Amino acid sequence: MESLSDTFWDVVISGTGLQQSLLALALSRSNKKILHIDKNDYYGHHEAALSLQEAESWVAAVQAHAKPGYSHASVTKPEGTTGLSFPRAYSLALAPQFIHARSALLQQLVSSGAYRQVEFVAVGSFFIFKPPQDASQKPTLARIPSTREDVFATTDIPAKAKRGLMKFLKFVLDYENSPQTELWQPDANIPLTEFLSKQFKMDNQLQTYITTLSLSLDGKITTKDGLTVIHRHLTSMGMYGPGFAAIYPKWGGLSEIAQVSCRAGAVGGAVYMLGNGVKTVDDYTSPIELRLHSGDIIKTRAFVEESDSIGVIGRPETTRLVAIIGSDLKALFETTIEGAPVPAVAIVAFPAGSISTADGKASEYPVYLSVHSSDTGECPKGQCVCYLTTLTPQESGPQDHLLTQALDSFLLSVSDDQVPQCLYKLSYTRSGGSDGDGERLFTIHFSLKPVTLSFDDSALENVRKAWKIVMCDEIMRDEAVDKDYMKFTDRQNAAEDDET
Amino acid sequence: MADSGNAPKPSSSVKLVLLGEAAVGKSSLVLRFVNNDFQENKEPTIGAAFLTQKCNLPTRTIKFEIWDTAGQERFASLAPMYYRNAQAALVVYDLTKPTSLIKAKHWVAELQRQASPGIVIALVGNKLDLTNDGAGSGGEGEGAGADGEGDARKVTTEEAKTYAEEEGLLFFETSAKTGYNVTEVFTAIANAIPETSLKTARGTGASHAAARSEEQRVNLNGARDPNAKEGCAC
Repeated sequence: MESLSDTFWDVVISGTGLQQSLLALALSRSNKKILHIDKNDYYGHHEAALSLQEAESWVAAVQAHAKPGYSHASVTKPEGTTGLSFPRAYSLALAPQFIHARSALLQQLVSSGAYRQVEFVAVGSFFIFKPPQDASQKPTLARIPSTREDVFATTDIPAKAKRGLMKFLKFVLDYENSPQTELWQPDANIPLTEFLSKQFKMDNQLQTYITTLSLSLDGKITTKDGLTVIHRHLTSMGMYGPGFAAIYPKWGGLSEIAQVSCRAGAVGGAVYMLGNGVKTVDDYTSPIELRLHSGDIIKTRAFVEESDSIGVIGRPETTRLVAIIGSDLKALFETTIEGAPVPAVAIVAFPAGSISTADGKASEYPVYLSVHSSDTGECPKGQCVCYLTTLTPQESGPQDHLLTQALDSFLLSVSDDQVPQCLYKLSYTRSGGSDGDGERLFTIHFSLKPVTLSFDDSALENVRKAWKIVMCDEIMRDEAVDKDYMKFTDRQNAAEDDET
Repeated sequence: MADSGNAPKPSSSVKLVLLGEAAVGKSSLVLRFVNNDFQENKEPTIGAAFLTQKCNLPTRTIKFEIWDTAGQERFASLAPMYYRNAQAALVVYDLTKPTSLIKAKHWVAELQRQASPGIVIALVGNKLDLTNDGAGSGGEGEGAGADGEGDARKVTTEEAKTYAEEEGLLFFETSAKTGYNVTEVFTAIANAIPETSLKTARGTGASHAAARSEEQRVNLNGARDPNAKEGCAC
């Protein structure tokens, strides 16, 4: 086999995170000479899904400061618990984002044909955590109604408030058009909660319902952004089947999409190497010269690097807790509409102030909990994986305690006679990340993205930009090339007799 | 072998991964199975690295989703995804090349370490057409080797078979070129997959029929008009 150094590469892609991998997918029919490497010995980088064994080495690497962007990582196995299966039975996602049905990512997976190698499960209900009125009671979960039928059926909301909520749902569905625009545009930049109270006379409870659907990590989303997200949620509802607005890739979330994309890259002839990163870059020359950890010196026209930059100063870090629960928590995964698939993901929001920190202060930011059933393939049957996320307030440390508190309260709220056991915990802090990707001539740079609960399409635009840089000659010759971005016909045999 | 399109039988998907040293004929075996086709001097695999083929058994239909390595084995960079949730593996060696059996044994060990515990593994010695026995074509291949007499066999049936028995693998000698024993391999794998794993290994795993697991999957092809204004909320 010819050596890496003998080839003049069209592009070297460093890192197999989602953006890099999607770029590999986009270039998979280009006949470019592509070398795709990752310094890790697994695929996915920031979007990886880890077995328990891998999770432990990952934690060790974070502790050794070898994973820029991450800190305060630890694994704990609560004593006296039993039932944890073998390490490979688990797949803990570093990026457990769900994907709204309207996301452009799904359109690209379909037009490129890559979706056939991914299995998707449905994201079901959204719940709000309600603390008990007094200490003798259990906390409860209230399901957020997000369709008209739902609102109609719920017993949690008084009749008068229902009318307000109905009115709001109708408004959001058509919020981009007049006369709705006149109602919200003057208030575009005030917090959504204020707008809801001002224009729709919503009480705190309803405001919380709505801000939860907006998935705002700080709970302070603006009217404009909030309406956009809620509109996306409502219009995504039912798109791929009744009763759900978002889906989740089975076996580890975005990691699976990264891997499928890399596979498409490999099928297209790209060369893949794990455990080999870029040591030094000289991109002031043409071609760009790279020295790999393996010692190989590589010449390439374009270079895509992963940035380990720590994020924007002042943007809050997030604390995350991943917990394996020894119960299937079945009640969370019920279908609410006939004919709907059984959901595998449920979301629980703990509004700001609904739980307390170690020193007794009410929580400053909401806590979000995604519960994944064994149908996600992330844990064995009879268990669940919980992903808890919250922002870390400025000047305070990681919120492990708060998240543990949230988890315990949640488990209490779903308990019958027995409180489900937590079998395993992985906690870590992630830096705030940066929205900014960049490029300099033929070097393209993908940064660590801010944590979001649902996949943010903005990452896709920069992948396309990168693709254009690599494909500039072709696009210059024929502008139509640009229009066919991510649109591929099936390779021979790939998909006959599908969907029968 | 392929679809006969009779009355609907329960149908399940089985993910099958294909492993083995370069140039042992992995893709050729699959091409023979899927297309009943053979290409002399096939280029190393790029292109059709994901193929599907149905296998009709008396009581059920198995749809194989066949994952070829797509050249990712070159730098040992196969995705964990590649093995994960695979219910079957085809480990191929070239029976004219002893080192390829050693490599095959590595793959078997790797599968036993990394793949799902219940995975069905078939060990397949390919290029039987280059030997004097079986295959019906008596060593017409140009690569028939320096041994004269057209018999290029370097790995005895006995040796590979003994190893396969020790490890609990299905074992076949095939010729992708003549088609000898190829469908037999896939039928044997289909038969060896326990019914229970069909219900549980993919999709929901609820105690209902296998068909339900397909229901659980969200089908992205079924999207409504993406420009539709209304989702469903009203």
